[in-house]
Amino acid sequence: MDTKRIRNFSIIAHIDHGKSTIADRLIEYTGTLSKREMENQVLDNMDLERERGITIKAQTVRLDYKGKDGEMYCLNLIDTPGHVDFTYEVSRSLAACEGALLIVDAAQGVEAQTLANVYMALEHDLEIIPVINKIDLPSADPDRVKQEIEDVIGLDASEAILASAKTGEGIEDILDAIVERIPAPSGEMDKPLSALIFDSYFDSYKGAIAHIRIMDGVLKKGMGLKMMATGKVFDATEIGCFRPQTTELQEMGPGSVGYLAGSLKQVRDVRVGDTVTLAEGGVAEPLPGYRGVTPMVYCGLYPVDSADYDNLKDALEKLQLNDAALVFEPETSVALGFGYRCGFLGLLHMDVIQERLEREYNLKLITTAPSVIYHVYKTDGEMVKVDNPSDLPDPTTIDHIEEPFVKATVIVPKDFVGAVMEISQNKRGEFKSMDYLDVNRVMVIYHIPLSEIIYDYFDKLKSSTRGYASLDYELADYQAAKLVKLDILMNGEAVDALSTIVHMDNAASRGRSLAAKLKTIIPQQMFEIPIQAAIGNKIIARENVRALRKDVLAKCYGGDISRKRKLLEKQKEGKKRMKAVGRVEVPQEAFMAILNID
Amino acid sequence: MKIDFGVYIHIPFCKQKCFYCDFPSFAGREKYIDDYLNSLHHEMELGAERIAEKGKLTPHTIYIGGGTPSHLNLSQMEMLFKSIHANMQVKNVAEFTMEANPCTIDEEKLHLMKDNGVNRVSIGVQSFDNGCLKRIGRVHTGEMAIEKVSMAQRAGFDNISIDLMYGLPGQSIDILKESLDKAVALGVQHISIYGLQLEEGTVLAKQQELHKLELPADEAVEEMYDYLVEYLPAHGFNRYEISNYALEEYHSRHNTLYWQDVPYLGFGSGAHSYWQGNRYENPVTIGDYIEAVSKDKFLHIMEESVSERAHMEEFCFLGLRMTSGINKRKFREIFNKDINEVFGKVIDKMVAKALLGESETAIFLTPLGMKYGNVVFGEFILE
Repeated sequence: MDTKRIRNFSIIAHIDHGKSTIADRLIEYTGTLSKREMENQVLDNMDLERERGITIKAQTVRLDYKGKDGEMYCLNLIDTPGHVDFTYEVSRSLAACEGALLIVDAAQGVEAQTLANVYMALEHDLEIIPVINKIDLPSADPDRVKQEIEDVIGLDASEAILASAKTGEGIEDILDAIVERIPAPSGEMDKPLSALIFDSYFDSYKGAIAHIRIMDGVLKKGMGLKMMATGKVFDATEIGCFRPQTTELQEMGPGSVGYLAGSLKQVRDVRVGDTVTLAEGGVAEPLPGYRGVTPMVYCGLYPVDSADYDNLKDALEKLQLNDAALVFEPETSVALGFGYRCGFLGLLHMDVIQERLEREYNLKLITTAPSVIYHVYKTDGEMVKVDNPSDLPDPTTIDHIEEPFVKATVIVPKDFVGAVMEISQNKRGEFKSMDYLDVNRVMVIYHIPLSEIIYDYFDKLKSSTRGYASLDYELADYQAAKLVKLDILMNGEAVDALSTIVHMDNAASRGRSLAAKLKTIIPQQMFEIPIQAAIGNKIIARENVRALRKDVLAKCYGGDISRKRKLLEKQKEGKKRMKAVGRVEVPQEAFMAILNID
Repeated sequence: MKIDFGVYIHIPFCKQKCFYCDFPSFAGREKYIDDYLNSLHHEMELGAERIAEKGKLTPHTIYIGGGTPSHLNLSQMEMLFKSIHANMQVKNVAEFTMEANPCTIDEEKLHLMKDNGVNRVSIGVQSFDNGCLKRIGRVHTGEMAIEKVSMAQRAGFDNISIDLMYGLPGQSIDILKESLDKAVALGVQHISIYGLQLEEGTVLAKQQELHKLELPADEAVEEMYDYLVEYLPAHGFNRYEISNYALEEYHSRHNTLYWQDVPYLGFGSGAHSYWQGNRYENPVTIGDYIEAVSKDKFLHIMEESVSERAHMEEFCFLGLRMTSGINKRKFREIFNKDINEVFGKVIDKMVAKALLGESETAIFLTPLGMKYGNVVFGEFILE
């Protein structure tokens, strides 16, 4: 394919603004798939993604389109993951493009996450085509949204395309704009091969597969290649493009987008952001922007049934094949037994992995409350990274502790600014700036501990702004804070899996609320269970789960056995999620209780 | 081969719905009684046609429950008995029970019952304390209950059961003690005593939601339980099931069927059947029931076909309700397996917690296990 006739583009949109449906219409319109072949939302093909309406794994598809000039063009749509956890992946996808569609809901307007991604696209010098979607909605106000795009983002919205993925309106205009406004790639055939990896996946027959964009040079099937970051050398056993199923090609020139399979056994060999070049005579410098993935949030995953330990390990290994961002290592808890400490990009990533383990691998798991990575400076000058509160060194050996802070960007209607400030202040946030995006909407920026974000910041934000707030955050720095370990004792014994690291100023109130919350979560058992919260040796709160006095089913009336059975089954279902900690049966919720106490 | 089975007949009508009741029973539907009895008649005919070997069903026990069977007037009751006799062999029935409410029972009805073969009356007394009775929506007084029990005795009934409850709103241990004293003084043969449970959708549950219900504390209810499980046996009422006590051999033959894996046929709205390894439920509302029967439906809605595993689980959690427990030999006969092969782990765990006892021949709840029956039953539901 002639490089001049290639257009590489992404779609930037906030959740629910219609990215996937627009993509569906483009695929349909260009005849890449017939209507019959189209599943609704072709691009989000993981069940979980469809349920949650988000994209976790990016997808790529090549569309062939005859432009107004009568020439055939090859349009590569590079889909991006749509969540704050996957910012780095988004940046690599954008680096593979020359342009982007910015989809904004005609009724909702610009949101915080849209903004973050648009700025990122601008950093990559992408040509941005604003598309105002859902203009068929009765509440659509395209003029206001255009104004907002100009005021907030500073883009010229006079040529914004009005579209409706639902009715199909504007789809052809979008395709023409892609051809006419997005520049062709600028790579050179004669240079040595350099290709950017912007995504990867694992295929059980072909091994790890890289999604690539050829920057310079030509990739041919059978070539000897090298991954520049990992140094891995391999042969290109298969190359091709996505339509959207993989379609083999013999060679790919500059600007082309597609896939590359070699004898690569694991996705860790195929790192997003890495550069592929020739094994011999390749480029000297890799493409800019490569970064190893660093988990931000850790939690413990324990099988409810300890016999499942090996199954959990197998499942994690399988998931890791396709998810280089997932890290894990064995961990032992006095309370929960053998499990794994797992690191994730963020809370959503954690949720998704946990859910996939349970659904796809049929595991019953206990998840401990997520923790950030603390930098603990000891009196002897050594710094240790702690991602599990129970690993915190003896307080007497600690000089100080630093915790990660993020820059949190919140966009809300102006009436809710007070609420946002109050929540952020309570969460130890430091006010940075506030800007009016338009007459009604305000962007507030706070410097705030990540640990507070992963607690219940977003939930609180949502509930006190009637769901209007949108949030985006990125790691800012590490700062010292007065942090202490809060322990929970059950039946007089400390339960390591319930320890958390909290700020000294709210340790007492958190301890009290947590003990009170646990009292409501832990079911009555045949004996009384004291629950205590402690800092060091000092008990700061105490609650009692009273003993269950008796537990007898009333009469079995008129032979209605099914009803009794259902009651017992329900009881059993509840028990499945319980872990015996000493003599006490503790439900899964207890380990997450710290996340929603106040 | 003659199969032993029980028959349950449901009368869903009540003068007033009790505040704790979530059974399929209705107040103020008297105008449907005649239609309902016609449907019952037809349903029993269908049963006799499809199941009976010699024209009539030959149940081991018959139990007319409700609702309030005694809420039927004399002619309606007569109609019901005619239907029963037309379709069932009543003469050889080991036990024929009819439930009654002290408020709606009278001499004429008692004689009619007696003449039609009823040999056991189960009277819903619940408490002899008028305050408690009022708070749970019962339409009778304690005095009336005493009077009606002796009326039944005078009518010739020598197998009378009364129902009592504990843990009622406003009930103290002393109130319960007084009710128990009165109960054992009545000269009845059988006492069922149930702890109050708040069921969704009942008046009490609503009151609880509105914080207008004063229930005794858990500790007080436990004290009542501890007291009554000692008191009744000390007065000759042996505990043969978690909530049931009887003099000598007066245990309820019919209810024992449910706990011992014997088939039963249920007639009437909301009635349940267990027949040839399947469980059935009839439509719950009176209108739906009448309509279904008019279309010649019998064994209406199949709830589940009991798998072998479910069958084993039920055999255990139902059997354990009896103080004699699960008969190991019977388990082997039915399932061709040793009970320990299937439930060994559970049994060991529960024995270690002193909730179960095990002998050569049986597995049974300990006194502690009786108190925490649900904990044990739940364990017998396998993964």
